[in-house]
Amino acid sequence: MKIRLIFFGILALALVIASYFSEYLCPYDPYLQDLGNAKAVPSAAHIFGTDRYGRDMLSRVIVGSKTSIYSTLLLVAFITVLGTMIGVFCAWKGTWVDTVLMRISDVFLAFPGLVFALAVAAALGGGVHNAIIALGAISWPKYARVARSETLAQKETVYLRAAKLSGCGTWKLIFKHILPNITGPILVTAMLDIGTMMMELAGLSFLGLGAKPPVAEWGSMMSDTRNLLTTHPWVTLAPGCAIFVSVMIFNLLGDTVRDWLDPRNGR
Amino acid sequence: MNAKKLIGTALSVVLCASMLAGCGNQKNETETTTEKGKKTLVIGDTTFNSSNEENNVNPHDAYSGWACIRYGIGETLVKYSDTMEIEPWLAKEWENVDELTWKITLQDNVKFSSGRDMDAEAVKECLEHLTENHERAKNDLKIDSMEADGQILTIHTSEPKPALLNYLGDPYGCIIDVDAGFDDGIVAGTGPYIAVDCQSDDHLTLVKNEDYWNGTPKIDELTIRTITDGSTLANALQSGEIQAAYGMAYESYPLFENDAYTFSQISTSRCFFGKMNFDESSVCADPAVRKAIAMGIDKENFVATLLEGNGYVANGVFPEGSAFGGDKVTTETYDPEGAKEVLEAAGWKDTDGDGIREKDGKKLTVRWLTYPSRQELPLLAESAQATLKDIGIDLDINCTADNNSVADDPTAWDVYAMANVQAPTGDPEYWFTVFATSDATRNQGKYSSEKLDKLEKELSAEFDIEKRAELAVQMQQTVLDDHAFVFCSFLKMSMISKANVTGYESHACDYYQVTADLDIN
Repeated sequence: MKIRLIFFGILALALVIASYFSEYLCPYDPYLQDLGNAKAVPSAAHIFGTDRYGRDMLSRVIVGSKTSIYSTLLLVAFITVLGTMIGVFCAWKGTWVDTVLMRISDVFLAFPGLVFALAVAAALGGGVHNAIIALGAISWPKYARVARSETLAQKETVYLRAAKLSGCGTWKLIFKHILPNITGPILVTAMLDIGTMMMELAGLSFLGLGAKPPVAEWGSMMSDTRNLLTTHPWVTLAPGCAIFVSVMIFNLLGDTVRDWLDPRNGR
Repeated sequence: MNAKKLIGTALSVVLCASMLAGCGNQKNETETTTEKGKKTLVIGDTTFNSSNEENNVNPHDAYSGWACIRYGIGETLVKYSDTMEIEPWLAKEWENVDELTWKITLQDNVKFSSGRDMDAEAVKECLEHLTENHERAKNDLKIDSMEADGQILTIHTSEPKPALLNYLGDPYGCIIDVDAGFDDGIVAGTGPYIAVDCQSDDHLTLVKNEDYWNGTPKIDELTIRTITDGSTLANALQSGEIQAAYGMAYESYPLFENDAYTFSQISTSRCFFGKMNFDESSVCADPAVRKAIAMGIDKENFVATLLEGNGYVANGVFPEGSAFGGDKVTTETYDPEGAKEVLEAAGWKDTDGDGIREKDGKKLTVRWLTYPSRQELPLLAESAQATLKDIGIDLDINCTADNNSVADDPTAWDVYAMANVQAPTGDPEYWFTVFATSDATRNQGKYSSEKLDKLEKELSAEFDIEKRAELAVQMQQTVLDDHAFVFCSFLKMSMISKANVTGYESHACDYYQVTADLDIN
């Protein structure tokens, strides 16, 4: 178990670090157009070939990783923090605040996610930032639900009552006692969500509501080149494979973390 | 426990039933298109949509006349030959009695699909309705009054209109029976096909006109399906969901260059061009910026690579081969170094080293508005983005199907790149009165040139064809000298069909798509 965790952890970390330094790893300028060399087949000089503007696909896939991976991580961090805050607040406060916020989250959960995100992104206009806001707006309720139910469970525990009796303030109770004890399930949800969010961001970009040209982003790269899918498949396959591999790594890492944190595994 | 089981079973049954129902629906749909003994044909078209102002087939509504004439519903008084000269169609002959009077003799044996005979009275009613409801037509035609006598229609114009007949061949001039109404945007024309069902942005269903005056239509039921996405269109043609396609992306051509498909290709006056915004709020109000943009677009490579050679570089408003087009005007060529100098001299300098120039603290960002239904417009945007970045201009692309409403707001864009048929009437005047003169109907960028307006006045009263061409050349040069527009390329248009489809042919003016000759074997 631990070996698996370390293995996928290193892979994911390598991906994140590599994407951070992506600009230095590109063999060519990913934005430099060379129309004379457009749609070149994969070769030693251009391992993934070139796109219709003669831009090196490998360089674009590498530089695209920064947009794709970091926006995903930012998005997941954003919804985790927001959702957890709302969930803990609702559980702690109770009363009508809890009812109102949870009904709002029910409303969000009732919408088909991507369709709602599409509407939000369309209203805000294109661009990666707006896509993150759109997906953030629909994805927080899941975390709020988990955080709320975990907090409610913790609230009834003996140790917390003891802490309360010994004069702990609200903030101390939440940050010192509750949050550390509910992190596990939230972390697992977040880890498992990275892959899904990466796909949804790519989906929005594919539909033209994510990254704007010429920004290299895997989803929009696939969308831009789909006319070429039958005649020059490599230009679509390269970003497609990149999405596949990274989603796979993050999903397997999420699975491993879940198994590792599962008390039944008797770590 | 039993109740649980029962509910479980009931849910499973409902699930299975709904799955079967889903399959059932699909089957019915395919059955209707292959009904036995009936000739049916489905054409996929990227342009029949609201983004192109073609919401229906009513020629008196914006650009919907294009759909009316293209799909064989309506016909005009005159039609254009492949050299864009006018020929008789619903009009048998015409005579220019004096500068303000035209006498038009109509065909005798023509009926509307509503059953009414097409006589001078019907044409008069149609043109009256047109000029009351269509701003562009009203400005073009300047009809003062009309008289109908049997098959002879006399038109009096309020000012000399040398190109009146040319204008009457525009798709808005489709002759329809206005008494038959405009329900759901459907009209009664005289063409080989009758529209029976029209759903904007989705499809148009037509049936053959049994009483057609000029031949026998062969297809029993014709469907025009709106498919704006290029790859979907290519897939649909490959899978046989559609049997013919208009507006295929050039990149998909290799898929169809074989014996299973027929290509019909022709050079047209359809042009990709960008119009500059002269509104105070726009960076393009600065002449240096406009000049630099005109010098910073690599048209040669755009045509060779991104259009895959299916076009040629545009010099001015009109294509080569016409009396007023091609190299009769001069314009900027691709010269990035020259463009840099122009910007430098105008005070646009890159002070913060990010590669984009600034002036008075304002970044040189050009908002480039375009739309996706012409498959190569987004490619032009991205190629211009790269070459303009080299000279220090940041291009912010807004590629949207909502282009028309964005274009109407002069504070929302700087360059509006579009595709347009430049001489749809075979006469040069149309383009200037639609795009360039101060009161032009689609001059959303508020370009205004006294010189141009004066020349247009002269042109509108000039009957001599050679002099008209001369004036048109001067007018183009004025527009080009002001860098009010940048003309990128003219296009070859192709219509692709399965090999068993005959009579699906492209035409220089891009209008007559569906004719009585269209057939499937």
